[in-house]
Amino acid sequence: MDVFVAVVVSGLTNGALYALATLGLALVWGSMGMLNMAHGAMLALGGYVVFSVSTTLGLPIWLAILAAAAAGALFGGLLYLLIVRPLLRHGGRGFETSVMIATVGVSIALQNAILLTYGGQPLRQPFAFGGAIQLGQGVMPLLNVTIVVVSLLVMAVLGLLISRTRMGRAIRATAQNREAAQLMGVPVERTYLQVLGLSGALAGICGVLLSAVTQLSPTLGADPMLKAFIMCVVAGLGNLPGAVIAAFGLALIEAAVQFSFGARWGFPVLLMLVIAILIWRPTGLFGRATIRRM
Amino acid sequence: MDDAEMTMPTTDTKPRRLRPDLIQSDLLIGAGLLALAIAAPFVIESKYLIGQMIIGLFWASIAVQWNLLFGYAGVFSLAQMALFAVGGYGTAMLSIYLGFNIWLAILSGAVVATLVSMLVGLACLRLEGVYVALLTFAIANVLYFLIMTDTACYRMNGTTCLQFTGGAAGFSRFGEFGTRALLRGDWVIGNYAIVLVSFVLTMVASWIIIHSPMGLAFRALRDNQQYAVARGVNRFHTQLLVFGISAFFTGLTGGLYATHFQAIGPSVFSLSTLLFIMAIAVVGGVGTFWGPVVGTVVLMIADEVMRDLGQFRTLGLGILITVFVVALPGGIVGRIAAFRARRQARQEEI
Repeated sequence: MDVFVAVVVSGLTNGALYALATLGLALVWGSMGMLNMAHGAMLALGGYVVFSVSTTLGLPIWLAILAAAAAGALFGGLLYLLIVRPLLRHGGRGFETSVMIATVGVSIALQNAILLTYGGQPLRQPFAFGGAIQLGQGVMPLLNVTIVVVSLLVMAVLGLLISRTRMGRAIRATAQNREAAQLMGVPVERTYLQVLGLSGALAGICGVLLSAVTQLSPTLGADPMLKAFIMCVVAGLGNLPGAVIAAFGLALIEAAVQFSFGARWGFPVLLMLVIAILIWRPTGLFGRATIRRM
Repeated sequence: MDDAEMTMPTTDTKPRRLRPDLIQSDLLIGAGLLALAIAAPFVIESKYLIGQMIIGLFWASIAVQWNLLFGYAGVFSLAQMALFAVGGYGTAMLSIYLGFNIWLAILSGAVVATLVSMLVGLACLRLEGVYVALLTFAIANVLYFLIMTDTACYRMNGTTCLQFTGGAAGFSRFGEFGTRALLRGDWVIGNYAIVLVSFVLTMVASWIIIHSPMGLAFRALRDNQQYAVARGVNRFHTQLLVFGISAFFTGLTGGLYATHFQAIGPSVFSLSTLLFIMAIAVVGGVGTFWGPVVGTVVLMIADEVMRDLGQFRTLGLGILITVFVVALPGGIVGRIAAFRARRQARQEEI
């Protein structure tokens, strides 16, 4: 029973974190066909901003979390203006790969900038707190409950933003058909800027939550980003609800494998599963077979 | 064609047919570079510099293979360093555990890398571009992770416990080329010669593939997939074949690398090494034959200059690659080719 509780707690916590990371990736992929390899570094950025604002400047924690989201959004916006927009203007076909290589470069640069500013030693993140709920024989740390609740709230807000607002409608229209949206008067470039900003803000918040359970280090985003990629792929790139389902499902499986076979085997088993799924359904579980423009 | 419309993998906008003058110019450039490379150890006194040139040849070999895979065949694989590592680890493990002669071990390491690449290819290559990149990236990371976390004792060396995969420390002292016994003080030059031969082999092989019917097939796939498939080109088979060939030479380079340094460890998996290889190809020009060579020269010099910057080196490398992708999409060679094409077009107008 206590093992079961532990698996569920760890699976749900990781699932919530992965879901936030995956949503940020899927949002950008779905609307502009861009794979943001710098997403992991942006998670780290969020975590460190909270550290700076809260621990170093001594401001309240909610302000620090807002600052992390703002910093992520700002970075996403800059990423768009300095890198994505020029690449998009170069022309379409090489975009998919060139933007990947460019963002790998950005990721390395950002990680190193963080390393040079804060040093490599792991830091304790101010958002972390103790306390637990007794649940039968198992324990449920309050921090994990908070992470799941905050993640669900953020996802709900994102869902409303995408489905109810003018901006969300523009994002969905651009994702479905860029040319048609442009002809209908949707400012496509501004929409892209908003998408990257939104994804950056998500990364910032996710980074705060993530570093609360691990610790702050410049490479803290690398592992969740890798898993978020996998989940994105399983769900079908760009599918937002699918991404959330895949994140929670795979996180629970990973936790179960880790508890029964040891922590080393969690990710390899996950990957095998993903490869099997992709051989069965090459565009992911919830992906539509898309017609590619040649 | 306007410069701004040029996209990265299709820098080579004019199809390079097997025209005699093109073969001749490639041959001339190759002979010139080879002459320079052979003359180098006679002119250069510094052992350090020769050592750096060996490293440059290693990076260039991998970049040439990655360019073949990505720039020509359109397979965006991020498992290149993993296959390199498989070659190196294969060499080390075969010579330690099975007592293989070092040359046999290097060759077998390359074969093992090919087999591993076939497995990876079977799992990944049915998918489309970005999916391939993500899966190969994940597979490379899993390999790295499994080696790093391997703590089970496989054999004992005195009181220290050694893991089957070498664990976080890796393998060392499993064999050498034999150049130390043969050339004594000048052993570095012997190693340089061996690595140079392998590099030339790599270049020749990739040239033959690019200009063979198979090369035409995968360039057709890259340029217009539906049309190529309609004409009877099998995408999966062609890409799997190129993946295997490129893995063989990458694994071979890995084996030579491990033997030259007499060590191989998990650090070769690191993202920054992969980034360095990608940077070489991007700076030189993806999808151009001489791009990786030019890129290696430029980046080795840039790296040497940035060595003085110490801790800012990786930061500089990251910024450099981003700037090149954004500002010079065809790389140096691509830019030169575009310039020459434009000049030629102008001359033809006159």
